[in-house]
Amino acid sequence: MTLLALKNVTKTFRVNQREVQAVRNVSFDVREGECLAIVGESGSGKTTLANMILGLLGATTGEIHFRDAPLPARRPPELRRQIQFVQQNPLSALNAKRTVGSSVRLGLDTYRIGERAARKAAVEAALEAVGLEPELARRPPGALSGGQRQRVGIARALAVEPSLVVLDEPTSALDVLVQARVLRLLNELRAAKKLTYVFITHDLAVVRNIADRCVVLKEGQIVEMGETAALFDDPQHNYTRNLIRAVPVVDQTEVELRNKLGKFND
Amino acid sequence: MSLLSIHDLSLSFRGVHGTTEVLHGISLDIAPGEKVALVGESGSGKSVTARIVLGLLQELPSARIQGEVRFEGQDMSGLSRKQLAANRGTEISMIFQDPTSSLNPTFIIERQFAEVIRRRNPSATREDCIRIAAQALADTAIPDVERVLASYPFQLSGGMNQRVMIAMALVNKPKLLIADEPGTALDVTVQAQTLQLMRQLTDDHQAAVFFISHNLGVVREFADRVYVIYRGRIVEDGPTEAIFADPRHAYTRALMNAVPRITGTGLPDIPERSDSFEAPQISHGSAS
Repeated sequence: MTLLALKNVTKTFRVNQREVQAVRNVSFDVREGECLAIVGESGSGKTTLANMILGLLGATTGEIHFRDAPLPARRPPELRRQIQFVQQNPLSALNAKRTVGSSVRLGLDTYRIGERAARKAAVEAALEAVGLEPELARRPPGALSGGQRQRVGIARALAVEPSLVVLDEPTSALDVLVQARVLRLLNELRAAKKLTYVFITHDLAVVRNIADRCVVLKEGQIVEMGETAALFDDPQHNYTRNLIRAVPVVDQTEVELRNKLGKFND
Repeated sequence: MSLLSIHDLSLSFRGVHGTTEVLHGISLDIAPGEKVALVGESGSGKSVTARIVLGLLQELPSARIQGEVRFEGQDMSGLSRKQLAANRGTEISMIFQDPTSSLNPTFIIERQFAEVIRRRNPSATREDCIRIAAQALADTAIPDVERVLASYPFQLSGGMNQRVMIAMALVNKPKLLIADEPGTALDVTVQAQTLQLMRQLTDDHQAAVFFISHNLGVVREFADRVYVIYRGRIVEDGPTEAIFADPRHAYTRALMNAVPRITGTGLPDIPERSDSFEAPQISHGSAS
């Protein structure tokens, strides 16, 4: 079943009296329970698209439907709760003056989830669900490591029980070991809580291992879209091929895949 | 002879909660023109090692440094602050992770270049600096050199700033370039271009590179030799090919597994800690 549908979405910004089209006539569906990746270089319109899905930006033309109804320009709290966000840089995403626990709790208070008295326990449960000690709730984000902070970002998004989570480069600020652990956690949480992910990244190797389907964006337009495995086996567009080829590789089998893609280039 | 030779280097910081040990006696060598990578996770001691080589940590009163760092045979602990500072940007230069925040936002590129060029040649005129800078930028395949020289960093893209930083780091023909995770703040295509450019230019200049990264995939593309560091200790070292063909230390294998594969082999389960990560150093012998 389709959870989210973008229909001919365009976003135009005015910069110095010039019109810049950040997103051009983009349409795709996100199915319930899947992980859909949006990939592209910097400036391809990935984050603008995320901001529109979250309702932080309005589309210039086109519509975004959620559970078969168009999302209104001013979203009621219930719709905001349903669509949550995990940002790239967990340090700047978390309020440095709040403890980790109160950052997580903010969502529960805002959307009035559960009894007030039960919220402290709910915060601790949310932290435990992402593999953090409940004691960390009393600490400020500055006292945590990068990986712990990103787990807090995830706990905060999931505490309000959303159905769709938009993840904007959630692991690109982390080192590879921490990234591997956070990606596994995200996968487990998606299965356990029946979540749907829109996963934004420029790293095709991450996409290959976490996404069911993939949308490739270039200069605000979709150049290619499909099942992840099929897209990697036979990318149709040179742009997609170059994105895959740019990934630094470790194994000989990866070198072979890259060489195979290289042959078709130009 | 080694260009850079680090022997039994240890570092600790004195803080309000007592002493924190960061490096536990690491040793490594870089030959002239050689590309050597130091690989490990956040907090393993990679960046502090680079900062000691640059002579930056020596200025910090809370840092206690022991062991020997020799650059071109000279013991750096014998150098004054002034001499250490004179080496920076001339004999040893550095490229940082995020180019845009590493350049000065209040000066145009031309002026930042002039500052670097005058470290080597204090009497260089503005015309000299522009000529030298323009040539250095042209070497990085920047098309519109004049526009770049007249721009502030925020007017340029991340990829462009990265090229500017590489050109600036190499303009005084240093013997050693330290690259601290160059390009990880940028997207993969720009990162791949950055690595290619760095390899080409350092070959042209015959500069050695001390390359710091957490990603073994990037290291494989770039380095001749690799040192793997875990919690302030070198756990494995050897020629890049040997390490990738036969990673022997448990921690090296964990680092390798952690890199997601474009062949889609799934997400590995990597333990937070393991006794096997603490196993003694394994050396694969020398490269040449």
